[in-house]
Amino acid sequence: MASPEALFAANYHRLFKYFCRAAGSAETARDLTQEVFLRVSRTRVPSAPEGEVRAWLFRIARNLALDHHRQHRRRPEPSLLTGEPSRAASQDVNLAVNEALASLPTLDRDVFLMREVAGLGYQEIAGACELSPDAVRSRVHRARLQLRQQLAAPIATFQTLAARRAEDMHETREP
Amino acid sequence: MSRTHDAISALLDNEPFNPQELLEALNDPAGRALLIDLASLRQIVQPSEAPPPIARVDAARRRPWQLIAAAAALLVALAGGYAAGTRQTLPPSTDAPPPTRIVQAVPFTPTGGTP
Repeated sequence: MASPEALFAANYHRLFKYFCRAAGSAETARDLTQEVFLRVSRTRVPSAPEGEVRAWLFRIARNLALDHHRQHRRRPEPSLLTGEPSRAASQDVNLAVNEALASLPTLDRDVFLMREVAGLGYQEIAGACELSPDAVRSRVHRARLQLRQQLAAPIATFQTLAARRAEDMHETREP
Repeated sequence: MSRTHDAISALLDNEPFNPQELLEALNDPAGRALLIDLASLRQIVQPSEAPPPIARVDAARRRPWQLIAAAAALLVALAGGYAAGTRQTLPPSTDAPPPTRIVQAVPFTPTGGTP
């Protein structure tokens, strides 16, 4: 059976990234990540395969994120904008992503974030959200299609910039 | 979900997929566009904020306990010092304290002068 410390250390980055998008701010993500650890350290970690324990951990995380939304009764908050142009551009994308995520049904958003941001498998997400793996697959795909449509402009910009970067790298490699 | 979408989603998610279905999906320009868009979407939804080092989180978590332990140690030290101080103090007495200086009174003798 994993100790709470080992379990937390192994999932710390996943939890933080999930909370960054689920709560919309890094500051809240830090607090909620620590709260998960406090809750885990107060209880007994189930002796189960790694995937099931991770599902259990993310069930706690999801409940915390839902409580946070209930308490604050608002959508994920955008990060503060800065004056630097490149930073401001990335903040614009950040804002657009947060808004698009907030427009998804809560369960679809959580399933999507656990898959795309926290990197959980369908089985783990199913355990965390009390769904079947097929329902997870279907919800992830539905969320992807909706976000693809809503974030069409940032996606296009990302692809243009990525292509430009790739060309630059190719040119610098050539003699 | 269409079979094209199914195969592409399974590929993106490291889930088992039918290679024939994936081939068909990637032969279709719409399937290729979907794969590229979903891979890009995965990139842009990643939070830009770096997580704080895990040690800092541990330190922050321990800080309240450290403060409580320090406050308890201070309290114990103060209580111990007070107890030791009271034990060493002399018990209160109703007797007058011994004199520290004795002044001898001399009777007054007039030596004359103007009345």
